[in-house]
Amino acid sequence: MEEVDTILIHALKQVGTEVSEEIDSVKQFSSELIVKAVVRCIQVIDPGLGSGLPTSLPPGMSARFRVGMSLAQACQDIGYKGEIGYQTFLYSNEPEIRSLLMCLVEKLPRESAETSDQPTGKSLVLQRAIAAAVQAQLAVPWLPTNCRLPLHVETQSPEALHSFHVLPLSLSHFTKGPGKKQLKETDYQRDTLPPVTAQLSHHASLMVSILEQHTAELSAAQEWDNEWNSQGLLSCLTPQKYRSRKLTRLRKRIKEQLCSAELPSPESAFGGPHSSSDLCELLQVFKGSAPSDHILTKSTHFSHTQKFTFEQESASVTSSIPSVHQSESDIQHRQQEELASLQQQFQQLCSNVDQLTADMKHMSVTNAQVLNELKHKELGNSEKEDKMQVKKKTIDLLPDADNNLLKLQALVEASTKRLVNLASQWEKRRAPLMDEHRRLKEICSNRDLESSRKLSEIKSLHDKICVSTVDARKKEDIYKQLVTELENLPRDVSRSAYTQRILEIVSNIKKQKEEITKILADTKELQKEINHLTGKLDRTFAVTDELVFKDAKKDESVRKSYKYLAALHENCNQLIQTIEETGTILREIRDLEEQIETENGNKTVANLERILDDYKSIRQENSALAAKVREG
Amino acid sequence: MSWVCKMELSESVQRGLQSLADASSFDQSGFQALVDVSFRSLLSARGDPEVLDQPELKQVDQILLKQTHTAAATFILEAVKHNADRSTISSSLEELTFSAERIEIFYCTYQTHKKELGRLLASIGRRTPRINDVSWRLQYHVKNGQVDKVNEPFYLMSLNTENEGSSEDINFTCTMEQLQDLVGKLKDAAKSVEKASQM
Repeated sequence: MEEVDTILIHALKQVGTEVSEEIDSVKQFSSELIVKAVVRCIQVIDPGLGSGLPTSLPPGMSARFRVGMSLAQACQDIGYKGEIGYQTFLYSNEPEIRSLLMCLVEKLPRESAETSDQPTGKSLVLQRAIAAAVQAQLAVPWLPTNCRLPLHVETQSPEALHSFHVLPLSLSHFTKGPGKKQLKETDYQRDTLPPVTAQLSHHASLMVSILEQHTAELSAAQEWDNEWNSQGLLSCLTPQKYRSRKLTRLRKRIKEQLCSAELPSPESAFGGPHSSSDLCELLQVFKGSAPSDHILTKSTHFSHTQKFTFEQESASVTSSIPSVHQSESDIQHRQQEELASLQQQFQQLCSNVDQLTADMKHMSVTNAQVLNELKHKELGNSEKEDKMQVKKKTIDLLPDADNNLLKLQALVEASTKRLVNLASQWEKRRAPLMDEHRRLKEICSNRDLESSRKLSEIKSLHDKICVSTVDARKKEDIYKQLVTELENLPRDVSRSAYTQRILEIVSNIKKQKEEITKILADTKELQKEINHLTGKLDRTFAVTDELVFKDAKKDESVRKSYKYLAALHENCNQLIQTIEETGTILREIRDLEEQIETENGNKTVANLERILDDYKSIRQENSALAAKVREG
Repeated sequence: MSWVCKMELSESVQRGLQSLADASSFDQSGFQALVDVSFRSLLSARGDPEVLDQPELKQVDQILLKQTHTAAATFILEAVKHNADRSTISSSLEELTFSAERIEIFYCTYQTHKKELGRLLASIGRRTPRINDVSWRLQYHVKNGQVDKVNEPFYLMSLNTENEGSSEDINFTCTMEQLQDLVGKLKDAAKSVEKASQM
């Protein structure tokens, strides 16, 4: 019973009952403690029911009686099936109290049900950590500014903050086999490139930049992974090929976009030659080696004009320098004049340029047209020359027409023969080639099928990998969380001791069961033997009886012996009966002894004495009340 | 306590750390020196270009040395950022073929510098100014140009705030209701913080 008691006491302590350390079994519970524990349990199980109950026994006897009654009622309301009344609390006996407390503890709401509702995963652990940090900070007392110690600097006095400012870092990356092109670069990296921590002068931005660089790399790798898995694998290309194809596609698209944006306003681009030339440079980069394009020719126009204006300006600046010596007004006057003339000149030149560009355009167009025409004409010329040659040959053959005709016929025949021959040969060759072709085609399609199957396999594998990684992550999270929870759990109940004890009990029960079956078997055997013996006895007796009875008619002494035999049989029967009776009586005695023990356990005498005392005190109270009534 | 199961490392960092783990490129003293240098270079306010000129690191190829140094610095910063504990660091390094002895060396150095690095990282960002002191004055508004009888009390508040080491006064006036509202909101905020601390 000790284990049960420790579990009960632990549960009661958890509920909030103060049980002193010395008490380690239900036997030692006083009435006060019992009432306190029961009331606390009822309050936890059903707050509405428990709110009306007092937590301690009042001094007056009749009041105690009432408290006991109400507690018994409450226990029955909760669902206690056993016998219960005021006497259970006031005149306690151990087994009753134990069964009551066990029932109450079983009815206590389980905490585990609450914990399972809480969200699981990383966030919970993080939230707990945050809560712990906040709690720690709240525990630090506030101090005025001038009293702060370096200890509080972290949480109370904010020091100067650095802004999140990212600067590019120059890093040497791991390359696969340095090629010849990178020789200069490697030299630079070996001798000149400072270590990463020395590249930026500002401390905070260095850290920020390193972290940023790393995050950028990571996210780029992730992006590529995603894209490769979703699209790259399906395209059946190697990663490098896929990349280069994507690059060209992108370039093409950018080019198209830029062209379409550029085309609608070729005239307005004159206003801002700078920006358009920038664009052209950009385009040039994208176009690479495709030179003769509309935009590119335009850009050369622009850059020419631009160059021209710049030269003009610089010339005007240089020419204005010598005039510094002359008087101011003069200078101003002259400058204005000069400016005007220059502007005029400039405008004229601009218009000249415009005209020239227009001319040039026109010219180039005409030039192209003329070139086209020329080509056409050349083509026509060569055709005509061919025709003329054929005609010339025919004319040469005309004089000896018959001969030539025969020759020609022979030639034609020979060539038809050759043709037939060739055709038959070709047929011969064709069949195996066609077969080969068909075979190869089949292999090809098989391979295609296989590759697509493998591709789908790879995809499914990849999906599986993803799922398992997610699973593994989740499980790791849960594991961590559970570990922290385990660490946070109170250690006062040794679970292993419980389980060990339970296992022991189970093994004990097993042993007992074995013994019981053994005893049962023994008993059965004994019973069998007894039955056997009784049967044998009966039969022997009947036979002997008959034999002796036969002889008894003849002989007197035998008659006497027959009488003895009958008496012996009767006496033996009586003896057996007596033995059986003794057994039942012994059993009864044992039962009675047990009963006496339980009665002794119930502290009947002490309780009777207490009841007597309480009866006396009630009588005293009653008489005092009666006296008061009489006085009143 | 750490709440992040795994730090993700980019490929270049992984390769750098792998070469750091490789005993053929970094012997024991070289490893120790590089780990020390990585932490020191992150902590020193002035970036010293000569930081890698250590006698133990002379025989290592300069490019490899720089790459490894970058990787180590990145790993250290990431670890501090994640508030990584021993198990996280050792599992990450084990994956990169570090021996137990080298993990131990790294972790010891990490442990000694972690707090300072964490403080440095925490100092990056922004912060709202904090109130150090309040002074107030109750005034009574008797009348003004438009109304002859106003008869309302109002408060002149002055909040002494501090931000990034410099202090500043914020002055405003408010009526009684507004002040009560302010006080109520502050109490609410305090309660919320307390609630957040009891998870």
